[in-house]
Amino acid sequence: MAAYQAGDFAAARSLIDRLSPQLHRFLGAQSQNPSDADDLLQEAWLRIHRARRSYRPGKPVLPWIYAIARRVRVDHYRRGVRTTAHEKRWDPLDDETTASPPEAPRAEELEALLAPLSASQREVLEMLKVAGMSLEEVARATSCSVGSVKQKVHRAYEKLRQTMSLPELKRSGGVQ
Amino acid sequence: MKNAEIEEVLDKASSARREVPAELLDRIAARIAPAMRPVRALPPAWVLTGGLVVISGAVALLGAARVGFQGIEALTAPARLLIFGTLALLACVAAAHLVSEWIPGSPRRLSAVSLLALVVIALLGLFALLFHDYRAERFLAAGLPCLSAGLLHAAPAALLGWWWLRRGWALDPVSAGLAAGVLGGIAGVTLLELHCTDFHPLHLLVWHTLVVPVSGALGAVVGLVLRERPLLR
Repeated sequence: MAAYQAGDFAAARSLIDRLSPQLHRFLGAQSQNPSDADDLLQEAWLRIHRARRSYRPGKPVLPWIYAIARRVRVDHYRRGVRTTAHEKRWDPLDDETTASPPEAPRAEELEALLAPLSASQREVLEMLKVAGMSLEEVARATSCSVGSVKQKVHRAYEKLRQTMSLPELKRSGGVQ
Repeated sequence: MKNAEIEEVLDKASSARREVPAELLDRIAARIAPAMRPVRALPPAWVLTGGLVVISGAVALLGAARVGFQGIEALTAPARLLIFGTLALLACVAAAHLVSEWIPGSPRRLSAVSLLALVVIALLGLFALLFHDYRAERFLAAGLPCLSAGLLHAAPAALLGWWWLRRGWALDPVSAGLAAGVLGGIAGVTLLELHCTDFHPLHLLVWHTLVVPVSGALGAVVGLVLRERPLLR
């Protein structure tokens, strides 16, 4: 990141290649439209680039990057709410000529598991599990205290415990 | 089902890697490449916080130098210590919070709204503790000039603070605007305590304290305008 700040394009490219998969997953996790993740990823990197001087060398990179990516997602959601309030939604399922979407990749498994959770609980688990961030780092990225993150994780686990204990889930192989 | 079992399921599901199309990564890199130039990193947070406190104090002192220091001269020594000590402490808390608003991924102990509530409650408690003559003489006539003088000094303090942090990146301009307004409001209240000789609690509780929420609300509105029109940022 320090090399990126110094104007090294190779360092920027390496950061983009390394972090994009997990950011793409994070940004697309709560979106209805799969192509949104591509747009959001692009928007996130442009903001990261514009904000790069606000990163302080020696500090953890992931909370800084995820804080910006999280804001991109919030802004996208806000714009979406505003747009859907003014526009009639086009439902592709009504159109029989629409091609069926490609089969969901295996990476969607986590999204399906986290689906019953609230947006904030999902966000915290995605950061902990996908990005491999610590509780302290998640707290920094989400602008809240470590205690609040722990509480969200605890509640998320409670909810997952209830969901995973459902007999039909066990039968379908959701839980081994 | 135990936590360890849930962890195992989550770890298994999260280990699947989502591939990002190579052309998308190329497109992102191509958009960044033309704007690639070295940037200077921000100074440490304590330097930024200290700068904000100095700016707020300087605005209040310069304002009082213009209109007079009658207020502080009329106060007893313990009251001076308590009032200006509290204001200095609140300015430090507000400045530290404002810095955290401008550096993504900074540790945050409270939200901007909680900061506003903390400052207002602290000022109400301070004034209620120190002054007990609840007569209200010339309530409006004496109050409105104090409110406008406070706001008149809150605005430059908030704007200078915004300028001081301009190399940072405010994730949420509304929240950052609110925090800048609160810090400016503290500078405005400091000026009023240096200058104003009306020590009736009602005057202090209403008109002096009101500078902070009004200034904070104005800052939030400016932030909202900036958020809706990103080109202004």
